[in-house]
Parts: sequence; structure tokens; C-alpha cells
Amino acid sequence: MATRASLSPVDIHDLELQQFLEEVHSFEFWFEAVEGYLSGLTWGHRPDTPEAVLDELERDRLITVLCNYCVGETAALEGASGLISIAPNRLSKVFLATQVADEGRHLEVFLHRLRDLGVKDPEAEVERRASPSLVLFKRRLLELVAGKDWEAAIFAQNVILEALEFAVFHSHGQTADPITREVLAGVVKDERRHIGFGENEIGRRLASAPHIRARIGQVKKELDHLVLDTLADTIKQIGMPRDEQERLGRAYLESVERLGFV
Amino acid sequence: MTMESLDGDPRAEAPETLDGPPRQRFILDDTGFDEVPKKYRRFYRKWRGPSDKLAPNEVLCPVCKVVIRSTRELRPGDRVYCMPCMSRLIVVRNDAGTLEARVAY
Repeated sequence: MATRASLSPVDIHDLELQQFLEEVHSFEFWFEAVEGYLSGLTWGHRPDTPEAVLDELERDRLITVLCNYCVGETAALEGASGLISIAPNRLSKVFLATQVADEGRHLEVFLHRLRDLGVKDPEAEVERRASPSLVLFKRRLLELVAGKDWEAAIFAQNVILEALEFAVFHSHGQTADPITREVLAGVVKDERRHIGFGENEIGRRLASAPHIRARIGQVKKELDHLVLDTLADTIKQIGMPRDEQERLGRAYLESVERLGFV
Repeated sequence: MTMESLDGDPRAEAPETLDGPPRQRFILDDTGFDEVPKKYRRFYRKWRGPSDKLAPNEVLCPVCKVVIRSTRELRPGDRVYCMPCMSRLIVVRNDAGTLEARVAY
């Protein structure tokens, strides 16, 4: 096993693969990474960032969008924590532990943002405004986790769901009010790790056990329309222009296409 | 980023480079990228979108869209790591003649 003290390369790209994986899947790496972009923030944003004046329609739409972000984050929080027990090795277990911490933080900052916007009972509001497609996606994901189906659950959570969130949060951050923008920027930085873990884990699995491709393809087929329906709902609420909608759809599909699914 | 001449790097290099001219070497500075521990930050920078012109020692991660930087000029066959998304990538020359990174699972 590589020790952290040995990692002082002239070029990081000289590391052996196992050294690299030991490093990036460690809690120590996670802690030093998030410290870089979360220290000094309160509830995911700088304490002195001014609150924008939103009209009633803008506020209502933002509340709906944030409620659905909470559904997605709750799905990932429950999914990632359930996956730890069936993860095939130590590195995956430790990584998922860091992901659980990330997802818990995301849920917390989005709920806090809802309170900032005047929502008195954010969790009740999340239930009331949750997109049926996303709720169904969450239920199906947790069934895969409960069924101890490692590949299908990681594909659903860290490839499909995380790819959707990464694309939507990044895009929403371009037009959001200053506080929401800062909250989303921090979340997107966490999501990079989650999508990378998912794509690489599934890619390695497909390379070593090609027979699982058909099963994962079935999961994709089953969940795709739920993701795309959710994407359409969110885009409508955010009020994105048509070309941005198309770009987001392509961004979502890129990761599954790299894994050979069309 | 500063370019300088360095010799004697023992790492294995891609076949194309063995017969090619010596590689340019680069000293990397911190560009403010804050998503990895401090000691690794100089190896990455934010991507500024499709108009962002990449240097000879840079390649874009297709998974998370961060620019990966190396201390040496990159050539096809090189292996690079994207720490922000924990991917291993191989540098290839695409149909347009430019370098791009492909995920190596």
C-alpha cells in the first residue's frame, strides 16, 4: 500500500494506478479537498453574500427547484450509505463514506436555502413539490440498493443521477441568484468526485465482466425516461433557453455513451 | 506557467515520443484551482469553455471538464490522472489533429 508520505512526485501523472487510487479514495484526500473550497462558508455560501430581490414567481420557481434538488440529494444520501455494506473493497467503502458526508451536506444547505427563502417547514414543502418522476427514480434506486445489486445501483446513482445533477447544478449556477449560485458551485465541486467514481467503477466492471452490460442496459432503459422527465421539469422551472436544454440533455448522455450505452 | 529545459526523467513514455524530438518541460504554477489538496493544485485548472486554448502540456478531462496539466509536453499514449474526478486517462490524437484524453477504465 502506498503511504501518503511517499507521494511527492515531480509530476502527479507518474503515480502508479494503485498509488493514485489509494490517494484519491482516502478520507484524508477528501478532507483536504473540501477544506479548500468550503472553509469560510456558512450553509454553503459566503456569509456576506447579499440576498437578491426575487419577485413572487421567481421565488416560487426557485423553491420548487430546490425541493427537487432535496429529493435527489436524499436519494443519493440513502443510496450511498446503503451501498457501503455491499461495496466490494475498502477503497470503495471509504469513498462512499465521503460521498455520504457530501450528500448530507448538500441536503442540509438546500434545506437551509429554502428556509432563507421563507419556507417555514422545508421538509413538508419538499414532499409537496417533489416531481413524481424523481420520487419514482429514488424508489427504484433504493430497491436496487436493498437488492444488493452493486453494479446496477452504482450505475443508477453515480452515473445516471449524478450526471443529471452535475449538468443541472452547473447550468443553474450560471443564472441563479448570488447565494444559490455559491451553494451550487460548492455542490458541483463535490459532484465531480461522485460522477468520476461511478463512471470508473462501472467502466472497470464492464471491462472485467462484459456479461453485466445487458443488465445495466436494462436499468438504463428503465430509468432514462424518469431522468429525462425530471430534467424537463427542472428546466421549465429554471426557465432555461432551448439551446441550453439541448446542451444539458447531451451532457447527461455523454457519460453513459462513454460507457458504451446509447 | 513557465517553460524550461529539464533532463533525466526516468518515467516510461509513450512509444511515439521515443523517436520524436525532446519534450518541452513546464514549471506549473497554482492557478487557484481549489478542488484538490494544495500540493496537487498546480496540476489542474478551471476550463474556460470551448474557446479555451490548451497549452501543449494540457488536456481536458472528458468526465468532469477540468483542465489537466503536466510538467511535460503531452503526446499520444501518455497517461494522465484527473484527481478532481479520480479518473485515469490516456492522451490520444483525435480526427481534428488535436490532443484529447480518453478514460482508461
